[in-house]
Amino acid sequence: MNKQKVILVACGTGIATSTVVCKKVEDLIKANNINARVIQCKISEVPGYEDDADLLVTTTIASRAYKIPVVKAINYLTNINTQKVDQAIIDALKE
Amino acid sequence: MLLKVVQYILNLGPTVILPLTITIMGVCFKLGFKKSFKSGITIGVGFVGINLVIGLLTSNLGAATSEMVTRYGLHLSILDVGWPAAAAISWASPIAAIMIPIAMLVNVILLFLKFTNVVDIDIWNYWHFTAAGATVLVLTHGNWGLAILAAVLYEIAVLKIADWTAPMVEEFYGLEGVSLPTGSTAACGLIGIPVAKVIGMIPGIKNLKADPESIQKRFGVFGEPMMMGLVLGVLIGFLAGYDIGKCIQLGIIMAGVMFLMPRMVKILMEGLIPISEGVREFLQKTNFGKDRKLTIGLDAAVAVGHPAVIATALVLVPITLFLAVILPGNKVLPFGDLTTICFYVAFIVGSTKGNIIHSVLSGTVVMSLALLMATNIASFHTEIAKMAQFTMPKGATMISSLDLGGNFLNWIIIKIFQVFTG
Repeated sequence: MNKQKVILVACGTGIATSTVVCKKVEDLIKANNINARVIQCKISEVPGYEDDADLLVTTTIASRAYKIPVVKAINYLTNINTQKVDQAIIDALKE
Repeated sequence: MLLKVVQYILNLGPTVILPLTITIMGVCFKLGFKKSFKSGITIGVGFVGINLVIGLLTSNLGAATSEMVTRYGLHLSILDVGWPAAAAISWASPIAAIMIPIAMLVNVILLFLKFTNVVDIDIWNYWHFTAAGATVLVLTHGNWGLAILAAVLYEIAVLKIADWTAPMVEEFYGLEGVSLPTGSTAACGLIGIPVAKVIGMIPGIKNLKADPESIQKRFGVFGEPMMMGLVLGVLIGFLAGYDIGKCIQLGIIMAGVMFLMPRMVKILMEGLIPISEGVREFLQKTNFGKDRKLTIGLDAAVAVGHPAVIATALVLVPITLFLAVILPGNKVLPFGDLTTICFYVAFIVGSTKGNIIHSVLSGTVVMSLALLMATNIASFHTEIAKMAQFTMPKGATMISSLDLGGNFLNWIIIKIFQVFTG
């Protein structure tokens, strides 16, 4: 079994929009049998988790360049073309 | 008989009423009983959690601040409980449940009248509208009509500001087709944008710039709520004349409050997701006519990650604390909402095209006013918290928040209704 991946889900508050996205990402990894866990946080807290994480999914604008790949998930909020984000997350985790 | 039953249920408090109404509403949105019931109970659980944390905050910090007042004459006797508590208090208001369909309906009507182009699918932030209504409900001693009118006026103002700022949101934040009808962001923008414009014209300041990267590095600690709670707790303990051990105890408890409060509100939010998806689907299915550019209203959280916003907000944390001490007339001790400043400056930073210096200066003006307004309407804020049956400390301690109490739209609505009600 391969190592469990860590996904950061970040938004401006660490509560409002990221809760919505958290649920989507958790459902997505379950549906695709991906071994990963999700950490929900504020975008300003990302530096504290960055070193141990594999992917950053964010609804807000990335504050700077990160060491890990970033997927923008605003489509989960607007409910437009969400499959594109689904695919981007799956691709990022398969690498 | 029926009246007695209703009265009995109302007296059971928000932890019972809101789960009940959310369950009913879920069934109305065809979510099925099981899912709706689970949503309702989740929201009730969220309230239980928030109540625990507010109790922790007010009992510990309340005692320390009153010591601080007697020792140094620092009259910061009103606790800033932060937006998570303010949102929970608003959701617990008797008008909260009916405000969801009303706010949605108002949005639909305004869209058909072409008064706005914002399709506001961000149900969570309907709490800002409700908050204005809840305060007017207290002010008018229970006049539901006026309370709902206040909430609707607030909503209209927020939607108009969202319309007005949508081009900037698209241009500066790159959020195409998105507008941000978030109450606190809109209210601070209303004051902050013109102020920033004036500041941008002052010779000498006009061309000053700062680099967001280095500010983020230097002020990074203010971005971590837990650490900020710790530092503030120890500091307040020290000012209260506590011994070292007790200072550290207070520091850890405050770190806990900062860390736990958002998590409790998250539970509330989770319970609301199914309903909010129902509303979203309804709004997105409705056809408001072609040949116009509609924007989708989202939480301003989608913009606050911008480097210039984060940098501006970080610098404003120490500034706000300093303002609280030196500003004549201020009685609010900033705490819970120090981590929310990024929301207050989101529109300001956009309007200055990311100039941090101009944004910080404008933000300083906005925060000063916010502190004074939060002081001014603290009694209403405390009253709606009591109505929500949250644990309040004994004695004279009052609570307020920069988000709800220091909100210009909320304040002006209270002032207007005060004139009419005498």
